Amino acid sequence: MKVTNLVAAAALAAAAAGPSLSQDNPGKAGYEAHCAVCHQYDGGGVPFMQPELFARPRANGPKGGVIDMIMLGSKAPGAGQGEYSNEMPGFDFLSNEEIAAIATYVRTNFENNGGPVTADDVKSRR
Amino acid sequence: MKANIFGAGLLIASIAGGANAASTIGLAEDAPVDPATGISLPAGFKATVFADEIGQARHIFAAENGWVYVALRRPVDGNGAVALNDSDGDGVADNREYFAAGMQGTGVAVHDGHLYYSTDVAVMRWPLPAAGAPEGDATIIAEGFVPETQHASKNIDFDESGNLYVNVGAPSNACMREMRKKGSPGMRPCPLLEKYAGIWRFDAAKPNQDQMADGHRYSTGIRNGLAMAWNPHADALYMAQHGRDQFASFFPEMFTNEQSAELPSEEFHRLSDGYDAGWPYSYYDHEQGKRMVMPEYGGDGKTESNEGETPLVGFPGHWAPNDMLFLNGDAMPEAYQKGAFIAFHGSWNRAPLPQQGYRVVYVPLDADGNVSGDWVTFANGFAGPDPVMSPRNAKHRPMGLAEGPDGAIYISSLMSGGRVWKVTYEGN
Repeated sequence: MKVTNLVAAAALAAAAAGPSLSQDNPGKAGYEAHCAVCHQYDGGGVPFMQPELFARPRANGPKGGVIDMIMLGSKAPGAGQGEYSNEMPGFDFLSNEEIAAIATYVRTNFENNGGPVTADDVKSRR
Repeated sequence: MKANIFGAGLLIASIAGGANAASTIGLAEDAPVDPATGISLPAGFKATVFADEIGQARHIFAAENGWVYVALRRPVDGNGAVALNDSDGDGVADNREYFAAGMQGTGVAVHDGHLYYSTDVAVMRWPLPAAGAPEGDATIIAEGFVPETQHASKNIDFDESGNLYVNVGAPSNACMREMRKKGSPGMRPCPLLEKYAGIWRFDAAKPNQDQMADGHRYSTGIRNGLAMAWNPHADALYMAQHGRDQFASFFPEMFTNEQSAELPSEEFHRLSDGYDAGWPYSYYDHEQGKRMVMPEYGGDGKTESNEGETPLVGFPGHWAPNDMLFLNGDAMPEAYQKGAFIAFHGSWNRAPLPQQGYRVVYVPLDADGNVSGDWVTFANGFAGPDPVMSPRNAKHRPMGLAEGPDGAIYISSLMSGGRVWKVTYEGN
């Protein structure tokens, strides 16, 4: 229970800190601006609605998987096959740098070890 | 947090009022949770865990034959529903019969001697068996609903004139041109209103009615009216709808995270033929007490809208009303006999603020169906003892509601393997 409270406090503190995060970690800032509303700040998703991002094959596999997911959403190859009811929009309006930062954040957090992604990697998937 | 203030106020009033205490309703925010059941209830009420680990329970119905029927969101051993029975009267079901092979769904109800069940694309019925699961093939009553994943559940209820009502949710957030895409404008007219975002009425007994050819669009402008019930005291259909998501992520220049957590209201309406609840062109702001223009349609959080009816109550944002119950019997205290119980599934769209709403509330109504007091919490504690920062950490989330033939109230949850509670009034 204490752990949860600490997490709660940390999340509140992070929320209060707000935009200052963007200077330090553009991937985290991008994730929180575009992804966390559905996948949650802790990457835990929402049961039956939006997938959790913990230890996902897509985030530990070839770089293109997460890039495609961000750019195409539920229209990405292999997406939308699970038990989750909501559709994910595509975020292709974000720049290559922004997508790379978010993809890197997801692939190196939430128990994922897929490694970083560059803007050139994103460009090659456009 | 208005609920806290109201709840506490009523309790204080009851203590100060002395002799009037019997008319006090609701549950204090810090009411202790019964460790045996994991939930808290007002004084005089008692719960049992009627059934545990039954599968992902959706709506429930407690039939006159003594069995409780539960629709399942995902099949258990290939079956999309389960019938439960407590043969020895100890408040715990000791018989389970799974049925609805090859299906999964949300709606379940008994009407005119038949057991009705709905998948996302059809409503069907069997003759209500004397006991247990129905046998044989069901007869399709309403069909032709477009297969969707978002807001696809087809919850049902009936009036007392032989009509079936089916909620057809919108596969959309705010009828944006591009689904949930920041900056994408709303479409006008919203093409989804033709086949979705409303309550359709059918003949409850006629087989194979098609939604568009045979159904009647009874009410519109309803994003997802998953909590819908016929009020037998006022002879009217009531509905609580899920408001849209993501004000702050789409319009950070108009809404702070705090405003986006509270808004838009979850709206509680009394419906009628031709009623328009306003989605997607407007939303309700319970803090201002006004309908506002949806930002995808030119709104800015400050501009009032003249589109859509004003709800009876606006609840805090994103609480997710998933079922509604009016009591027919008189086993519960008089103060609870004519109003609406609403099961709130709990939010996911209030982050980075804590998620809220995992509770059952009660809206007092008079015999004519008018709101006669502030809403109160009736059952709480479902999510667990800590603030819910991420919905996956909620242990239970209220889902379906039902009244048994003995007057008990049943509450379902689809989390943690699926559970049903039975709530009785024991008095002081």
